[in-house]
Amino acid sequence: MKDMIICEKVSKTFETARGNVDVIGDVSLTVHENELLVLFGPGQCGKSTLLNCMSGLEPVTSGSVTINGRHIDSPGPDRGVVYQRTALFPWLTVMGNVEYGPKVRGMDKKERREKAQYYINLVGLEGFENSYPNQLSGGMQQRVGIARAYCNEPDVLFMDEPFGHLDAQTRYLMQEDLIKIWEKEKRTVVFVTNNIEEAVYLADRIAVLTNCPTRVKTEFEITLPRPRNYVDPEFLRLREEIGSVVDKSL
Amino acid sequence: MTGRSLKGVGSYRKIGAAAISIAVFLLIWQLAVMFTDVGIVMVGPVEVIGRFFVSMVEPIGHDTIQMHILWSLSRVMTGFILGSVLGIVLGILMGWFRPMNALFRPLYEIIRPIPPIAWIPLSIVWFGIGEPSKYFIIFLAAFSAITMNAFAGVKAVDPELIGAARMLGANNRQVFTTIVLPSCVPHIFAGLQIAIGSSWATVVAAEMVRASQGVGWVIIRGQDSNSTVQIMVGIVAVGIVGFALAVLMRWIEARLCAWNVRGK
Amino acid sequence: MASKKKSYVWLSVLSLVVFIGIWYLACDVLKLTKASTLPGPVTVVGTFIDKLTQTAPDGATLFQHIGSSLQIAMSGWAMGVIIGTPLGIAMAWYKKIDLYARPLFDLIRPVPGLAWIPLMILLFGIGLTSKIVTVFLSAFVPCVLNSYTGIRQTKDVHLWVGQTFGASDFQMLMKIAVPTSLPLVMTGVRVALGASWTCIVAAEMLASTKGLGYMIQQARGIYRPDIIICGMITIGVIGALFSWLLTLVEKKVIKGVKR
Repeated sequence: MKDMIICEKVSKTFETARGNVDVIGDVSLTVHENELLVLFGPGQCGKSTLLNCMSGLEPVTSGSVTINGRHIDSPGPDRGVVYQRTALFPWLTVMGNVEYGPKVRGMDKKERREKAQYYINLVGLEGFENSYPNQLSGGMQQRVGIARAYCNEPDVLFMDEPFGHLDAQTRYLMQEDLIKIWEKEKRTVVFVTNNIEEAVYLADRIAVLTNCPTRVKTEFEITLPRPRNYVDPEFLRLREEIGSVVDKSL
Repeated sequence: MTGRSLKGVGSYRKIGAAAISIAVFLLIWQLAVMFTDVGIVMVGPVEVIGRFFVSMVEPIGHDTIQMHILWSLSRVMTGFILGSVLGIVLGILMGWFRPMNALFRPLYEIIRPIPPIAWIPLSIVWFGIGEPSKYFIIFLAAFSAITMNAFAGVKAVDPELIGAARMLGANNRQVFTTIVLPSCVPHIFAGLQIAIGSSWATVVAAEMVRASQGVGWVIIRGQDSNSTVQIMVGIVAVGIVGFALAVLMRWIEARLCAWNVRGK
Repeated sequence: MASKKKSYVWLSVLSLVVFIGIWYLACDVLKLTKASTLPGPVTVVGTFIDKLTQTAPDGATLFQHIGSSLQIAMSGWAMGVIIGTPLGIAMAWYKKIDLYARPLFDLIRPVPGLAWIPLMILLFGIGLTSKIVTVFLSAFVPCVLNSYTGIRQTKDVHLWVGQTFGASDFQMLMKIAVPTSLPLVMTGVRVALGASWTCIVAAEMLASTKGLGYMIQQARGIYRPDIIICGMITIGVIGALFSWLLTLVEKKVIKGVKR
């Protein structure tokens, strides 16, 4: 398999009033093409920061990130992000949000409408094209976020705890649907979560991160066939195994 | 026992109570004017309302009351539109471009604390007693309220939305036009709401100081001729129009900002 | 980063210097404008210093005018706060009061305070009372509105917690609703002071023999824009001081009341 994202000795230090804080310490990580990699770690570790460094939203302090051999140092449409707080544009309809990427990149109206409609249908929001985000439930808003990221047809999708704010029931449903969408439209996905079940359910590979400063502790290949079952003995065993290596301190 | 709640009551009860309390108030007012010494200086609601309708056909000065209202409104609209346009442009530029803020902030801060009404004398010296001096004062009233709100609107743009737009491929100009501008619309409307109220108050003041028509003039002429009823007719007109302007602004805001459910 | 911030400060200073420089050049040096239309900054400063001690041409020194305006504005404002704030709180807390008092309040709310000036003059004469009542009306409205909205922001859940612990209705008002409303109450008090200050200036322009509003209105009659500008700057500076002082008090009061 081709290597898509290569993080080499990435570290990140924030300067604050109370001195420097090392958030990421020396992370080296490779993501393969069309792989679903889950970054899994305890509560306040620098998962999101690491994701922002990989997507180019935040500059790294040292080390480097390359995607397809290109050096990443600023945001760009070849990468898509799905946010925890959705970050939908509240003044645009579902259609307006999904077609935003192609629109700012100058695609003509007919073409981008068709494309947006395809992805709206893909995430199961047919019929809600003209709704505004605040008229939708949390789960539906996240679907819009996924469609919006997909519609730009990026090489890589970054998902920053996208289901973190949803209730348990919706969360299961979204995980199931995400896998369906991803199997239909294969992309390289980097998914951040602090939920161990979610990690095992989704991942091809899990990178377990340590607390601040964040490092990669170990990696697990998950070869369970999909669709996966939360109560399958093998699933539960993996869950136990991964749980045992996570930092327990708060 | 049900839980204590500050949620409102049904609208029927509300309207009923409102009708009762306003009726009682008007009745006491009327009785006080008819049977006590209050009647020496004050007129009752019956006379005021009666005169208000009479003045719709019989002119006060040269114009009927609705023409006076139109005079005042046309002054407000001219100044308000000029002030809003300039205020929105300047506020947004100041919010988005740091050098613009550095350049204009000190001058704006000098003007801001001076109430628009305090400009009336200087404005008359500069522009004479005609219409331009009134436009100028109302312009200032609208301008200072809106600039601040437009500025605050730009400063309140969610940085995550800007990040999301950049990530989707928007360049600086597109971030400004597609993210910053729409997301400060609610703030701008809050500013317009304040500005229309303050413009209306200002035009009344300006007309009281120097004018030959308009609702402010109606009130001040009432004082000059010791006619309490004419003052009251003017005040009623000022109140009705002030209320209508506020409702109109809220209606426009609800139409244009359907996506922004306030208080949610 | 730091040097960039510094350059912005310099830009601000530059903008002020250029503004005053052009004004000075055009009016004081080149005399492009008549002194009866726009005097230069040097003239204005000169007039300002004169007005500190001289009573001509309007019968009082600057400090006497300031004192007179302040006295009326503060009395009217204090009355507005003392009556308006509790009324707003009562209206928001007790549904009966809301039902019957709110419509009357809504009746006078859209009338700007200064529109009452002529009526008050007819009712109470040209003296202090009429102006204080008018200022009171201007201050009263924002105090009622803000404290009303403030109380209404109390969350039902907080009230239920209070009820569960057996608090009486009045205890809940004092211990839960009033603290919740404090930030907005303070905003109301601040807005009211601004409105009072504006209103007194208007009242003095219309009918008075003293005060800053009277001073600038008189100066207009005799074409002395230098005095007008002095008056406007004084009005502005005092208004800015007011709002700065109350923002300080606001921060003190609100400390601890997290929203």
